[in-house]
Amino acid sequence: MTALRITVNSRAYGPLEVHDDLTLNDFLREYLGLTGTKFGCGAAQCLCCAVIVDDPDGTSHTSPSCAVSAASFNGKSIRTVEGHAKNGELSALQKAFIEHFAFQCGYCTPGFLNEALVLLERLARKPVARSELEKTIAEALDGHLCRCTGYVKYHEAVRDVILAEPGRYLLAKAAGELQ
Amino acid sequence: MRSRLHIAIMLALATMLLTALTARAVNNASDSLASPESFAAIDDPAARSAAMFIELGKVLTHPRCVNCHPAGDRPRQGEPGRLHQPPVERGPDGHGLAAMRCSNCHQEKNFDPARMPGHPHWQLAPHEMAWEGKSLAEICAQIKDRDRNGGRSLEDLVHHIGSDTLVGWAWAPGYGRHPAPGTQQEAGALVEAWVKTGAVCPN
Repeated sequence: MTALRITVNSRAYGPLEVHDDLTLNDFLREYLGLTGTKFGCGAAQCLCCAVIVDDPDGTSHTSPSCAVSAASFNGKSIRTVEGHAKNGELSALQKAFIEHFAFQCGYCTPGFLNEALVLLERLARKPVARSELEKTIAEALDGHLCRCTGYVKYHEAVRDVILAEPGRYLLAKAAGELQ
Repeated sequence: MRSRLHIAIMLALATMLLTALTARAVNNASDSLASPESFAAIDDPAARSAAMFIELGKVLTHPRCVNCHPAGDRPRQGEPGRLHQPPVERGPDGHGLAAMRCSNCHQEKNFDPARMPGHPHWQLAPHEMAWEGKSLAEICAQIKDRDRNGGRSLEDLVHHIGSDTLVGWAWAPGYGRHPAPGTQQEAGALVEAWVKTGAVCPN
């Protein structure tokens, strides 16, 4: 058993006694009621369950929640799909996903949203040239499975959000070669 | 008629017993490692050294080791060494691509409920240390070459194989995976004896 302390979407939880074989996915869904994080393959293959992990150095990365223990996140800070909208307003990524009809059933969407947000945060720290953007988006979303709309719409939605703020996500040199 | 039936039953039982014993012997042979002392009967030190490396090869060519010493940019997994799913890649530092780092899934220790292996330094061996598809003689030449063994001396190899905890994972791979033969201590003893006898490679 572990007395788990964890911060989820800026809210601190715990200490909560959890079994060491409890997955993070079950913890989020069954203990905290945060059912936006989905359970898909259960083997870190589809990544619909991916959440954002905030690293102490200010960077972020995603982690599947189905194949990792909740106890291993003791003392850590994570974000789930419930943390995207602020004060009832959808984020730019969420709006872009809707505008592009990026999802149909929506089961994979939380994972894609979290992965795309991590990409935006990475690009804000370390912009890339416009010429590298397509490859960068493709590599970032790689591994997330979608069985409804395919992957193009997600890719286009993320690209639109980035190109809407080129000065934030792209190298200055690339500004002239936009679109 | 009755005695014929008796003989048939006895033959069947004997066959079953022999099969079981043979299978056990084969399993024991593949699951264990011979000690350096068991090679003492080989008088020629060079031949003894090469023989010990062949024994160590049972570890080096085991899926627990080769799967993370792949020839390409993707690790392999399972006993048959199928390509890793999800489709991860080596990345510039051997820890995966920017959005799919090894540590995203592989945490500090095995998580058996999800059959997820783990170690704090989970990563792919560098390109130059690829063993997949190579003969034992080729692996031996490679493992002695500082340019292709991570800059290690022979003494470093003894420590790496005998004590490194990431290498040690091969003997504690978690639920559903067959561990490497013998123990890490036995593998360390073999590599140490191989080095002391001249680190001779098999042909």
